[in-house]
Amino acid sequence: MDIPIEIKLDFKSMKKDLIHGIYNCSQRGLYHAVKWLSEINLSLKHVTLPSESRPEKENDLEEEFDEFILAKSYFDLKEYDRCSHFVKKCIKPKCKFLYFYSKYLSIEKKKLEDNMIDTNSSHDSTKNEALIDLCTTLKIENFENKLDGYSLYLYGVVLKKLDLIPIATEIFIKAVNAEPMLWSAWFELGKIIPDRHTIFATGLPDHWMKYFFLAHTYLEQLNNDESLQMYNTFYSLGFENCTYVLSQIALGHHNRRNLNEAIDIFQRILELDPYRLDNLDTYSNLLYVLEMKKDLADLAHKVVNIDKYRVETCCVIGNYYSLRSDHAKAVLYFRRALKLNPQFLSAWTLMGHEFMEMKNTNAAIQSYRHAIEINSRDYRAWYGLGQTYEILKMPNYCLRYYKRAQQLKPNDSRMVIALGEAYEKLDKTENALKCYYKACNLGDVEGIAILKLAKLYDKLAEIENAAAAFTEFCLREDGREQKTVEEQAEFYNALQYLANYHLKKGELDDAYTYAYKCLECEETKEPGKALLKTIASKRAESEAGPTRMSESNASNTDMVFSPNQM
Amino acid sequence: MEEIKPSNTSNISVDNYRKLVQTYIDLHIYSTALFWADKVVAITGNPKDVYWLAQCMYLLKQYHRAAYLLKSKNLDRTNLQCAYLTARCLFEANELGEALKIINNIDSMNFVPPFNTSTSFLLINTPKNQAYSSFLLLKGKILEGMDNRGLAADCYKQALHFDVHCFEAFDSLIKYQMLTSSEEEDLLKSLPISDQCSIEEAEILQTLYESKLKKYHTHTLPKPNESKIMFGSTPGSTDRSLNIMHLTPNPTFIHSGFSLSTPTLVSTPNVVRNNDKNLKKTERDILKNDDSQMQVESQENACLIKLKNSLDLQVAEAERLYYNCDYQACSSLTEAILKIDPYHDSCLPIHISCQVELKQSNKLFSLAHNLVDLYPNLAISWFAVGCYYYIIGKSDFARRYLAKATCLDRLFGPAWLAYGHSFAIENEHDQAMAAYFKASQLMKGCHLPLLYIGLECGLTNNVRLADKFFQQAQSIAPDDPFIMHEKGVIAFQNLDYKTAETQFRKALERVKRIKKGIVPQRWSPLLNNLGHASRKLKKYEEALNFHNQALLLTPQSASIYSSIAYVYVLMENYEEAVEWFHKALGLKRDDAFSTTMLNYVIEQLTEEEPPYPNCPDEIPKFSIEPKAADCTATESIAEDTSSVIPSVNNQMSDMSMSIEVDMVDASGIVKE
Repeated sequence: MDIPIEIKLDFKSMKKDLIHGIYNCSQRGLYHAVKWLSEINLSLKHVTLPSESRPEKENDLEEEFDEFILAKSYFDLKEYDRCSHFVKKCIKPKCKFLYFYSKYLSIEKKKLEDNMIDTNSSHDSTKNEALIDLCTTLKIENFENKLDGYSLYLYGVVLKKLDLIPIATEIFIKAVNAEPMLWSAWFELGKIIPDRHTIFATGLPDHWMKYFFLAHTYLEQLNNDESLQMYNTFYSLGFENCTYVLSQIALGHHNRRNLNEAIDIFQRILELDPYRLDNLDTYSNLLYVLEMKKDLADLAHKVVNIDKYRVETCCVIGNYYSLRSDHAKAVLYFRRALKLNPQFLSAWTLMGHEFMEMKNTNAAIQSYRHAIEINSRDYRAWYGLGQTYEILKMPNYCLRYYKRAQQLKPNDSRMVIALGEAYEKLDKTENALKCYYKACNLGDVEGIAILKLAKLYDKLAEIENAAAAFTEFCLREDGREQKTVEEQAEFYNALQYLANYHLKKGELDDAYTYAYKCLECEETKEPGKALLKTIASKRAESEAGPTRMSESNASNTDMVFSPNQM
Repeated sequence: MEEIKPSNTSNISVDNYRKLVQTYIDLHIYSTALFWADKVVAITGNPKDVYWLAQCMYLLKQYHRAAYLLKSKNLDRTNLQCAYLTARCLFEANELGEALKIINNIDSMNFVPPFNTSTSFLLINTPKNQAYSSFLLLKGKILEGMDNRGLAADCYKQALHFDVHCFEAFDSLIKYQMLTSSEEEDLLKSLPISDQCSIEEAEILQTLYESKLKKYHTHTLPKPNESKIMFGSTPGSTDRSLNIMHLTPNPTFIHSGFSLSTPTLVSTPNVVRNNDKNLKKTERDILKNDDSQMQVESQENACLIKLKNSLDLQVAEAERLYYNCDYQACSSLTEAILKIDPYHDSCLPIHISCQVELKQSNKLFSLAHNLVDLYPNLAISWFAVGCYYYIIGKSDFARRYLAKATCLDRLFGPAWLAYGHSFAIENEHDQAMAAYFKASQLMKGCHLPLLYIGLECGLTNNVRLADKFFQQAQSIAPDDPFIMHEKGVIAFQNLDYKTAETQFRKALERVKRIKKGIVPQRWSPLLNNLGHASRKLKKYEEALNFHNQALLLTPQSASIYSSIAYVYVLMENYEEAVEWFHKALGLKRDDAFSTTMLNYVIEQLTEEEPPYPNCPDEIPKFSIEPKAADCTATESIAEDTSSVIPSVNNQMSDMSMSIEVDMVDASGIVKE
């Protein structure tokens, strides 16, 4: 499984496939697929095809051509019901697809219009009856093997909408086998395929599109390294100016928290294609995290000029307001984004964050839940849910959600720490300790795990471990400046603990160093002085007696000094 | 009529007047005809002329006047034709007792042993058997009007025996569900069809009549000869059944479904409740009936296949689709029929029921309006109005109009049932049952009222009574999957899960046979209930499978989600359970069962699960390897730590060992 996939691309046949794919998809009104294919195609501009292999306009419709043209024109004008009416009785696969597709879009459009009134109650299952009917029709057609690749894709989309994921997966696989150039089917498949093992277990066609699919899906599944590796290969194979590939690389860096690289790439994309809005919401997240106010403002103004009513635009503006701590306004823009597209994942998550800021836990929970319904791999939403339940004092739930987040991002120390805190709340000290331990092993970005770990060791009377952890903590903290008051206090408490510890063990020199440091702070000054005194007296003793004795004395000091830390 | 012309009066002008009468009758100018007929009677006094005078009155709907005329001349005792007309007039005038007296008179006069009084027979230009049959038909109608339905049925049967083409008698027998389906079949078999017509005609007649029989237990496909006709009649629907027959079903569909169910809602009465199955044939007014009869006769010489164009056969097909729960197809077919014949009266009830199923309130609204405007006296019009109010949830209005429909035609079963439904939907069990009882009295041959009564009994926890009614219903319609399903539900309520499961499985088998594996959406509760039953019998895998199948039919159902979750809880797969409970609560936030279970499961999870995969079992010893990712600053610290804490290196080896042990443990957990 883990053998890196060798990517071999034959540009000539790719180009040919692309041209065919673009023609077929645009005939069927699959504009997103056309867009994607064309982006790839542009990178192959240098490849020229012999003129005979350009697709001639094959007339595969025969006597239904006239109906098709008429229906297609209605389709292009977004009069979906009208379109479906005119191809209702056609039997050619292309017309059939147009029929199903226009039906589907009509249902979705109506749903969206209803949705304009209130975003929060978008999920009304009773309104899905039309969709279920369409699904039944498609089911019967599929049962009789009458669906072509495009219609299969549509069937899959409907199934996915109805939350019948396992079958949807199957159907998408059938669809990509039938029409490997249908990027939309690959795309949807990537969203629902559960993990990388199933990718290889399922029978995907051996087609060059598979490479793009794999890269895309790895990214989707947060296998960032493999994904980046593949995209970098594409990059070096001649797609260095393909905005799609670039933006995927940027997303990969973003997921790996290589924030600066990601920003660089986004800036490059904007140079290449200044009007590209796709994924700019992620870019604005990056700017937000790094608190680059100026750039974010600039971006927000730019995107508003391009298209005010795009989900990405709304998210950028929402982020901008959020950074300015105008949370109510931010929510307003995220809401707008969701009205435009209720399935837009990051808007839900970001809106949840805003509600958290506004202490509106209920709304936050709803937003996060929506996000998870759309994509259960959104670890930020899981994490957010955990936070809300922490506030609601429901530690069991909170634990559960942090756990999900942690499973999705197994190497992110923040998740493990959150998990540990939840265990602490449930008085499961051992589990908590294990979490902090793992967090420390993972690198502990925020530097709090080690302290928590030390305290828990202490609580469980693992003195040796506690001391080791405290030592580590003190060493780290020592170099740092600009500590908050609490951090100061923790630091000096740790020092005090260590001083006691070494004193107990009779390692008077170490004890002395730590105790001496304690004097730097007001609160630990007195205990520090007391410690120094004890150390001095010990020293006096040990100089008198043999050194070996020092350890046997430890038990006495123990009685005197350790209580605070317990 | 030629016989009338050579009359005893030598006056030629009388003949001219007679001709005038005939002409005006043919031209439907009845008053003029009446005027001249009166003059002819004045001139001749001939009973035949009196007959024509009375005929004119009849056509002018002056029934009492005609009857009085005939009686005053004593013709009702002496002249058969006049007697028939008198009875007919009295029947139309709703003087049933009088009419019956006259008919009985005829019987006693000369009629009953049919072939002995041929000379005095006066319906000269009609064949004898048809004349007998018309007498018997009229008698049957009168008896039926007097609520003496048993005798009426006998009369109809006799009428049909005399003349197998007498559709009205046949229709009267079957349309009010007087006979059970096996009785219907027996009737059809007993008819002397082959005696009265040629082989080809016999085949046609057989087919036509068969199409009228009860459909709800129709086997998967139409009978062979029937299907010959059906194919092609409605390209959309029949093509489909053909294809399904021949294709091997796509295996992915049936196996791969995942689904779920609700533990609490075992009895899902709505499945059956809205199903106005019995909305079968409506009243036909007599005129139309005659039309269709003529139609049938005229077509007899046409090729059998051309019959597909007959709307009656298409209606039969629509009905079949309806009982097989294929409402979409049924609706498109009925719509096509109604486009050709907007007020096709046997199609209308099916069409209306179909719209009820599909909740097409808008279509029903305009249809009801049209019907009420045009036929305010027909039960079907008010039935449509009632149904409209029923689906928009205004039970009060629905009841008012359905009651009106039942007043107009007391035998109109569908209205009674819908009336019952309007109570049932509001949990008014007693009143609902009363309505269903009424319906069951009226429709002796129909199992639906009994089924509904049983359902209501079940809902009021009267399990034993419910079972009894289901038994009765089943004795009428032994193959109806709805009954099997409800019996299963009752058994489930009785905690008799084994029986429940068998009943459900039987029902499922029947349902599956209908369309070669594609189960209509309506049956999703059946699958779900099978899931519940399997769960109770601790067959968890099966339960999951059934719930998943149910989910395929009704996606995004909170109750199915929580059923699946519950099965997972019992399988102690808490991870999955939590997922599904979340889904369920996402759709139905205040579901007490799911909330409680979710709390429980999440607590379980907290207790049992390790904090993260590969988590060590014991408290790990402290030893940190700073990650490369953690910037250079930490690296320098790492060096420091090793110098400060001498024990680190030793502990390294300890730790790695402990992790290995843990991984073994962890995999053990997974296996459990």
